[in-house]
Amino acid sequence: MGYVWDQIRGAIPLITHGNPYLMNLLWVSIRVALISTSAALVIGLPIGLALGLGRFRGRRALQILANASLALPSVVVGIGLLLLLLPGGVFGSLQIEFTLPAVYIAQAILALPYIVALTPAAIQGLPPGLLAQARALGAGRVQLSLLAVREAKIGLLAAVIAAAGATIAEVGAVVIIGGNFEGRDQTLASGLMDQFNYTGHEPLVTAIAIMLLVLILVMAGVLTLIQQRTGGIRLRFGTA
Amino acid sequence: MHLIWEEVRVALPMIWHRNPYLLSIIWFTLQVAAVATAMATAIGLPIALALALGRFPGRQFLRMLANASLVLPPVLVGAILYLLMTVQAPLGSLRLIWTREAVFIAQTILALPFIVALTVAAIQALPEGLLSQARLLGAGRRQLSMLALREARIGVIAAVIAALGTSLSEVAAVTIVGGNIYGYDQTLASATLFEVDGAHYADAVAIAIVLIVMILILMCGLGLLQQQSGGIRMRFRSAT
Repeated sequence: MGYVWDQIRGAIPLITHGNPYLMNLLWVSIRVALISTSAALVIGLPIGLALGLGRFRGRRALQILANASLALPSVVVGIGLLLLLLPGGVFGSLQIEFTLPAVYIAQAILALPYIVALTPAAIQGLPPGLLAQARALGAGRVQLSLLAVREAKIGLLAAVIAAAGATIAEVGAVVIIGGNFEGRDQTLASGLMDQFNYTGHEPLVTAIAIMLLVLILVMAGVLTLIQQRTGGIRLRFGTA
Repeated sequence: MHLIWEEVRVALPMIWHRNPYLLSIIWFTLQVAAVATAMATAIGLPIALALALGRFPGRQFLRMLANASLVLPPVLVGAILYLLMTVQAPLGSLRLIWTREAVFIAQTILALPFIVALTVAAIQALPEGLLSQARLLGAGRRQLSMLALREARIGVIAAVIAALGTSLSEVAAVTIVGGNIYGYDQTLASATLFEVDGAHYADAVAIAIVLIVMILILMCGLGLLQQQSGGIRMRFRSAT
């Protein structure tokens, strides 16, 4: 284990001294996680609520489609989006290929299936009488949605954790759509992958790996804390 | 839609005419998916059964660890395996780095959390009395395990589907430990990345189309199996 230990010992100073390259990767990763997860939530939550609460034709087919989209490979999203954004593509005039905004879009698309597919699942896991009762008591669409969101909070936060995890950890689409440019649109994950195109940078590899792990753990930890806290409140209401 | 349409028009003939490069990647991808999913299932099911049915101290903590491992970024797993397998490293003498075997190992490790965490969840979601009743009636460890697996099979198949999904579409670990070597250890997903890097968009589109079709076929097949096993279970239920 001497080799692995040496790597870790070499990596720690890079992190503690705030190596500018590392800090830039961290900053890009945080921005991507925040912006893409928020965008996925804003777009996905209404869709998920419609799938979970709505009573329209084809709802089941759409739900199966949403579940299937969870299996969408990131490289396929990457190449599809790239062909839309390249000059000559439909959105080529925006000229955002190989930039950070393109990475935001790609990661939001990849995070969306988690929100859309897991929201109806969380709502359907609620006690069966709850929503029917609210409906019978005359709750409108907005009230019903708010009730469902409040009651299914634990499941929804699990969806947000999965979505944010994907935006931080995923590389396939980031590399394709962002071009993996150092200092511009490289995330911790894609920066880590980039390191393996060269040799002899091992302390840096280990440093990025450690920071990526810490970022994921902090994100999951904070969201789990929020989740458990709301769970506690709900439990108290339940026993009351 | 010009650009996408053009690329797809160039890509389709490559698929029709069974481009030998494409065929070799398809074959290797199927091998990776089969080996990784089978190995992860063989290793993961006993672990999951022990975590779900066992009554030893620390199982709560181990279950949490299993859930946490679901958000482990593949690029991180790849980096850790690289640090273990590279020439100077602890496992360096096995000469695994940049081989097909390394890809099999990486994908097995990435599929494992899905099998373990989702099987545990499926068994824990069984009706409460079921397993304790079997225990009271004197079921041994093996009988209890078989019962749990049979009753939770819908969830277990869902776990296998998730494991298969990652082993098909993951790119980061495959690229890092396999080296993404042309015609040797490329999967459909990593080959897409490779072709985009070389700006061969038509090839990338052809490979991406095959990847999507393969995922759809395998997922639908397993999904059908899952639905059918659900049907059998229902029949047993209503007979009693």
